[in-house]
Amino acid sequence: MEDEEELPILTAVSSSARQLYQLLRCINFSDKAHVQISEEGLKFSVDDAATMEGSAFLDKSLFTTYTFRAPPSTRTSEPHDSDDEQEDEEDLSVTPTFQISLPSLLETLQIFGLTDPNNSKPPWARDNASSTAFSNNNVLGMNNLCRISYDKVGAPLSIIITEATIRTTCNLTTYEPDFADEIPFDRQSLAFKTIMRGSWLFDAISELASTGPDKLTLIARTLKGKPLFALSASGPLGSARVEFNNNPQPSSRGAPQGTNANEPPPDQPNLLETFQLSDPDSYVRSSYRFALVQKAARAMSVATKVSVRSDIQGVLSLQFMIEVEPGKVSFVDFRFVPLLEEDDGDEEGDETIKDPHHLPDLRPAGIVPKPPQLSISSKRSTV
Amino acid sequence: MRFKASIQNITTFTKFTASLNSLGPLAWVKLSDDQVCFTIIPEQGTQVWAVLSIDTIFETYTVQSAANNVINLEVPLTSLNRALKSALNATSAQIRLTKKDNLPLLALTIVTASNSNSHAAFPTNGGNNGDDGLRQTPLDGSLGGGNRETIVTQEVPVRVLAPDTVAGLHEPQCREPDVHIILPPLMQLKSISDRFTKLALAGTKAGAGSAASRTRLEMAANMHGCLRMSIRTDAMSISSVWTDLNNPELDPNQVAGGNIGIAEHPSTRMKLLGTADGRSEEGWATVRIDGRDWGKVMSVGRLGGRVIACFCHEHALILYVYLPSDNGEDESVLTYYVSSYSA
Repeated sequence: MEDEEELPILTAVSSSARQLYQLLRCINFSDKAHVQISEEGLKFSVDDAATMEGSAFLDKSLFTTYTFRAPPSTRTSEPHDSDDEQEDEEDLSVTPTFQISLPSLLETLQIFGLTDPNNSKPPWARDNASSTAFSNNNVLGMNNLCRISYDKVGAPLSIIITEATIRTTCNLTTYEPDFADEIPFDRQSLAFKTIMRGSWLFDAISELASTGPDKLTLIARTLKGKPLFALSASGPLGSARVEFNNNPQPSSRGAPQGTNANEPPPDQPNLLETFQLSDPDSYVRSSYRFALVQKAARAMSVATKVSVRSDIQGVLSLQFMIEVEPGKVSFVDFRFVPLLEEDDGDEEGDETIKDPHHLPDLRPAGIVPKPPQLSISSKRSTV
Repeated sequence: MRFKASIQNITTFTKFTASLNSLGPLAWVKLSDDQVCFTIIPEQGTQVWAVLSIDTIFETYTVQSAANNVINLEVPLTSLNRALKSALNATSAQIRLTKKDNLPLLALTIVTASNSNSHAAFPTNGGNNGDDGLRQTPLDGSLGGGNRETIVTQEVPVRVLAPDTVAGLHEPQCREPDVHIILPPLMQLKSISDRFTKLALAGTKAGAGSAASRTRLEMAANMHGCLRMSIRTDAMSISSVWTDLNNPELDPNQVAGGNIGIAEHPSTRMKLLGTADGRSEEGWATVRIDGRDWGKVMSVGRLGGRVIACFCHEHALILYVYLPSDNGEDESVLTYYVSSYSA
């Protein structure tokens, strides 16, 4: 407005604030989010005490208009030292980065539409009965027209949402970024990788959550030539384990024992779309704080597919593919630092002692006390 | 001292008492020959002065007293509202002022016809749970076919106020408003203002404690059909602008000084400033109000009346809520006085 002579760094218009809301809600576990603006899109990332991080990438294809003008590089290049992480940004020196309040952004994005009592009514019962086929924006698919702009470095990030005759302008204060390093994930040396449906992982995590566990252990190996991927959770009340076997037998669901012994019929669709171990004979096992993994639950519940990967240091990467509308996918990423395991000297995970919030009292699964009355232990194979 | 009336419009009366109750627990009810006044004067926050024409809620209505047929009562709104709620399915309801053990009370007699459940072994007596001041008198109509009439009497203890007690209470005086405008549907306004309040609280989570006092909504309007609501926190500032609203014309017969009065009216000057798209910074009359208090005021939206807001810049916001009436005359109006915080 005032500084017309200088063109804004970013102008992006989306016809659906709801899509943006759906993606950003997946990473809503922190007050502040880092925003990186680049030629390809907007990257929102949050972290929790450097032991986990989540990021949502709003690709420019989500917007009807996306104009990015790199600011004059007044700053020196940002001190990112992880050299293999920039898959989205080739040149970070012209990528404006700042922090905003994520809850405020989410509240703004759903200010209309989602809670508008009018939307649940048929058109003739709505309050603004004056709207006609041509005056009503909804007919033209223009509800929640959302415009995001960032004028210059240090300026607020403004969101303008227009609906009928109401225009909401939200200016989010931008804060200097914390130059926290990304959790290093070495995708060149993966220990394990699998792809499955997001809802299956969600089911497993919700099932395991019922015991209120402290930690989640991921196990991947090849057993009798068949891939085995298991998640086991242990806590003060006991432990539980969910196994994903390819070619499962539906009748073995919930069977207390012998899921591995059953010879599955070969015509079942594969539960795990991909299953790769760096070494077919290796046995991958690493643990994470359950509460942190649970924060990705919303992403699991809406994702069509999830790629579960861990590198040789045990860092877990969950990449969710979310279909915002048919044929249009977006990605939400999570990374988790593993817990230190004390008993397994031969584990690769032991070298990574990066977790400052590592719980020293967390004993490995083998010696977790299990009160006889309260112990919940189940084995099942998910269909 | 006698007061007796049958309630014609139970739903309206229930919603009305519920809206008033959100602003204060006690109402001063003034019953007179031609109108019923409900007044809420809370210690803090918005005052409501409501004037209802008799037939907005009552039908046959008699009021008699030694003081010019005026009765002043102090009514606990929660009890009255609860009593009215139990009358929502009633076929008829009567209210009268009576005495029990020398204590004055409003007795609400609710007649319900329960003909639905003819197969049940036991008649259902309205399903009202025991309440203090509640007396159930089930009567078996026994007209066959399970057509039963249930009569429930709800008693609301009240206090009779002497004329001297209320003589000192006056409706607030305010200067002529700078801007008057018809508000958009209050429920829409409320859903957005509630979200704003929530946003402000989320933004000040770090500095808890002061959070409650921070929810200052800024409301502004101009004479070109624009209404602006905004809130500002450390983390953000957000504002919504409504356009294409209506600024009603002033009636020369109602304004002091007639046509000259209108020409000199503050709103006439404000008309010269600002634009209809709401983008200009000029011509706004602004007030700062408490977000939660505003949410309570907005609860009157359930009555579904037309609302005119009068903005006195930096001073006060006055809302006139006109209740829809059947005959078009004797309009009932609720007046809300919201005072502005200083910047």
